[in-house]
Amino acid sequence: MRKTSALVLLAAALAVLLVMPAFAGENKVTILCSPDPAWCEAVKREFSKGTGIQTEFVRLSSGAALARLRAEKANPAFDVWFGGSGDSQWVAEAEGLAEFFRPKAWGDLRPQLTRAVDGHYIPLYTGLHGFGVNEKILKEKNLPVPTTWKELGDPKYKGLIAMPNPNTSGTGYVMMTTIIQIYGEDPGFELIKAIHRNVGQYTRSGGDPSLLAGRGEAAIGVSFANDVVERGRKGFPIRFVAPKDGTGYEIGGLNLVKGGPNRANGLKLIDWALEPENQKLGPQNGEVSIPSHSRSAIDPDVPRFEDAKVIAYDFGKYGTPAVRDGLIKKWTEQVFPLPK
Amino acid sequence: MTAYRRETLVWSLLTLGAFAALPWERVGKAFLVLSWSRTALGQVSSHWSLAMVGGAASLAILLALVGGGSQQAGRLLLSLSSLGLLAGLIQLFTTGHAFGLGALISLFGLLTLAGIGLAQAGYLRGGAFVGAGILWAAGLVAIFILFPLGVMLQASVVIQGSLTTSGLLRYLRSPIFLLLRHPELPVDPIRWGIGVGVATGLIAVLTGWGVTRRTRASLVWGGSIGVGAGLLTMLILGMGALRNSLFLAVIVSLISTSLGFAFALLESRSRLWTRCLLGPLSILPIITPAFVLGLAMIYMFGRRGFITHTLLGLSTNAFFGPLGVGVAQVLAFTPIAYLVLVGVIHAMDISLEEAAQTLRADRWTLFRTILWPLMRPGLANAILLVMIESLADFGNPLLLGGGVPFLPTEIFYAIEGRFDQHEAATYGLILLMITLTIFFFQRYWLGRRSYVTVTGKPSGGRPIPLPLGADLALTGVFLAFAGVAALLYGSIFFGSFVKLWGIDHTFTLKNYRDLLSHGLPVLLDTMRLSVLAAFPSAGLGFLIAYLTLRHRFVGRTALEFSAMLSYAIPGTVMGIGYILAFNTGALHLTGTAAIIVLAFIFRGMPVGIRSGIAALTQLDPSLEEASATLKAGTATTLRRVVVPLIRSAILTGLIYSFVRAMTAVSQVIFLVSPGHDLVTVLILSWAEYGTIGRGAALSTLLILVLAACILPAHWLGRRRPVGVEAAAN
Repeated sequence: MRKTSALVLLAAALAVLLVMPAFAGENKVTILCSPDPAWCEAVKREFSKGTGIQTEFVRLSSGAALARLRAEKANPAFDVWFGGSGDSQWVAEAEGLAEFFRPKAWGDLRPQLTRAVDGHYIPLYTGLHGFGVNEKILKEKNLPVPTTWKELGDPKYKGLIAMPNPNTSGTGYVMMTTIIQIYGEDPGFELIKAIHRNVGQYTRSGGDPSLLAGRGEAAIGVSFANDVVERGRKGFPIRFVAPKDGTGYEIGGLNLVKGGPNRANGLKLIDWALEPENQKLGPQNGEVSIPSHSRSAIDPDVPRFEDAKVIAYDFGKYGTPAVRDGLIKKWTEQVFPLPK
Repeated sequence: MTAYRRETLVWSLLTLGAFAALPWERVGKAFLVLSWSRTALGQVSSHWSLAMVGGAASLAILLALVGGGSQQAGRLLLSLSSLGLLAGLIQLFTTGHAFGLGALISLFGLLTLAGIGLAQAGYLRGGAFVGAGILWAAGLVAIFILFPLGVMLQASVVIQGSLTTSGLLRYLRSPIFLLLRHPELPVDPIRWGIGVGVATGLIAVLTGWGVTRRTRASLVWGGSIGVGAGLLTMLILGMGALRNSLFLAVIVSLISTSLGFAFALLESRSRLWTRCLLGPLSILPIITPAFVLGLAMIYMFGRRGFITHTLLGLSTNAFFGPLGVGVAQVLAFTPIAYLVLVGVIHAMDISLEEAAQTLRADRWTLFRTILWPLMRPGLANAILLVMIESLADFGNPLLLGGGVPFLPTEIFYAIEGRFDQHEAATYGLILLMITLTIFFFQRYWLGRRSYVTVTGKPSGGRPIPLPLGADLALTGVFLAFAGVAALLYGSIFFGSFVKLWGIDHTFTLKNYRDLLSHGLPVLLDTMRLSVLAAFPSAGLGFLIAYLTLRHRFVGRTALEFSAMLSYAIPGTVMGIGYILAFNTGALHLTGTAAIIVLAFIFRGMPVGIRSGIAALTQLDPSLEEASATLKAGTATTLRRVVVPLIRSAILTGLIYSFVRAMTAVSQVIFLVSPGHDLVTVLILSWAEYGTIGRGAALSTLLILVLAACILPAHWLGRRRPVGVEAAAN
């Protein structure tokens, strides 16, 4: 009998130990984080080290993050949505999921960025959008390096393209809207269908196609420039191409989640993330793009806007919830199921 | 009879205490906020129904103190507590506030009191514990299995508050779900389907009539064959997630079951030493999340894969698509089929075969008339299990699916991408209906026949070995399979020690060092949640097994059936159900660790039920009867007699529940929240984002940890439960 009660005690102690962490600590901030997980980890580490605030994050691609915010509208679990493509940040604000405010550093951010998204979200970084190419694979196949979106629709690239699914990835959505803004909606969709026939692999995340291209699983990976540059630095044989018929770009942002559990700490995190020394964390951890603070240094490896034919991207229109949902639905029903 | 009064007193005091001191509702995730105004007692003035909860508990105390232990008092207790329970539930659901710890304990207490009343009133035999146990099990199964499915069903037909099938029809006609008519398809599946169906039907009817001369039977059977062939043709020629998933499931389950059958034969009848390898190989997939093998396959068989490119010089995309998903699933699920079939083969009575041999049956007759009929239920069971696993598998289609839609991935994109709950619910419903059809088919077509060969009579003799040729051939197949599996596991291990898997193969420990800051904490947290889930999971499984096996009560079949239903529910469907059912309102749980633990509990429960049934059927009920004769209550009997005898089975059930929780992906990918990332979800996201070395390192660590946990369980399972036999004799 004594043995039994000792066992019961032991089990009780174990249970208490297991449940304890659930009640620990209230000085918290929770981040919905959309860029490279390495950056998210760095933010978590450095922010909690600097402020003593316990920091947690969940990493979800922009599309998935937006869906999560919509699902949790009644009971938001997150305080800050950090990073992620601008369109979905815009949608979140337009739907009342996020709350815009001007942080302390607003006046010091690059003016062309703040002008473009004022009143909707806070710019965090910016970068070109195009594709990464693995020249080794293309050479093996005796194929030229494509330089335009139009060329990606050429049947000779069949099976060689990897692109993210626009349903979950902001990168995939930006590709769609860029092509539509260059060629118009109907001819644009024809081109997207032609590209679909060449796609070998759709991915969930925007960072994945450049990885597949780098590894040689694909020859061309639709991607933001920063992911391509980062893979190149890691040793993958891959190079960024800014399409000559028109290059899209993003203004990656961050915003306060409306009704999040730790509002004050969320505000602190946003101010902290905009300081130039903390903006270094992005380029150091996989997000090799142009930081939004005008005093932040720009990494020499980042492809410059001056060298590309950058389109006048209409953030307002493509950040309208109805427009975004309509285009994604159209792609899902009219392009994705088509035979290849 | 005083036992009833004591139990009633304890539980009604608990109920009243929680009612008066603990928060009835909660704000956010804090379950334990002590404040007067949040308690039920503090809110009685504004909510009259809460007064009924408190009143029921107080009256129950009174009843325990002054009322007798009579049946009438039991009926009174039953109606009192049911009223209180009902009032409390109505209050929670009408206000829509999330429940707090106080509501949880009060309502649980009232449920228990109702169970005590049920037993005291004489509606049940077996005392208060049985009554309460039945209500606990029924309540939990209703809330965490049936309710989410109901909400999912509702979400598929109720759009913006009105009942409509328009959404259902729209999603089912969506090209992503099923594409039968499109200008870009090379042939028209509908026309071809009708053509093939009519032709096959005619031939079948004529042949049937020609052979049997029975007009009606030939028409019915020939007609059904024709319709089947037509539908099959449409599916083969068509496109879409439904077609892809169904096809994949059918093919994978057939291949896996055949391989599993072959391996099971080898295990019991091979003369070669290689059969020793079957044991370890069958454990590996249990401790590996299904998609990890898919990940390794990219590195081995992808366009730049080690085998396809480096060794064979190929450059092919073939493994991105249904072929790759299929191969990955066959590798992952064959051991499931093997484990089912090896059990069946071991249970077969060898004397039947010996008798047949004595009667000079040749090998083929022996196989056709003895082995095959005995194996058939096992084979059907294996096919069912593999089909469900294949239909529910989500990681492999995501990593290897190419551009091809599958049902689980489309459910995922509908929720995580398009945020269309109705669409996700519709696809979930279809997926559920498919698995339920298979489940019913298996249960009622094969379940009714008896194939019992475990008679207790000693069956001497060793199994007849396979003919040498067949032995060698099957061993060859097995070695090829084992070789591929070893290669894939080896490559994960290898990938965790190199700088950049596939590009730069310099040795490094960096991947493991990186795990220390991020990865290891997640692994530990997942382990913590899995341990938390394993105890209730195994406990509930054993409770249900015990109640349905040893007691007769109204609704027993319903309880057994709903509990076994959780077998047939694909994880993705459960995940959708949970996120729809527990997102808002009285049962709001999303964003907490609790919902993850609950998902784990009900994923692991079938394992607990199964091992519980297996252990209890070995135990002679007369032991329990003896204990009851000595006036021990059911709870005492369980504690002092049953549990000690089946201790090793309980431990095995615990370990398997833990392992199943650790490797879960599809039901929890929607449920991860800040601070509660899970190890499988993390590996998947690293794999997708190219932090592949770390993903491989974490996978290796996970596999090693789980291997360390499961080896003792495997060993325990192997050992004959000596104590049980000794006690039963």
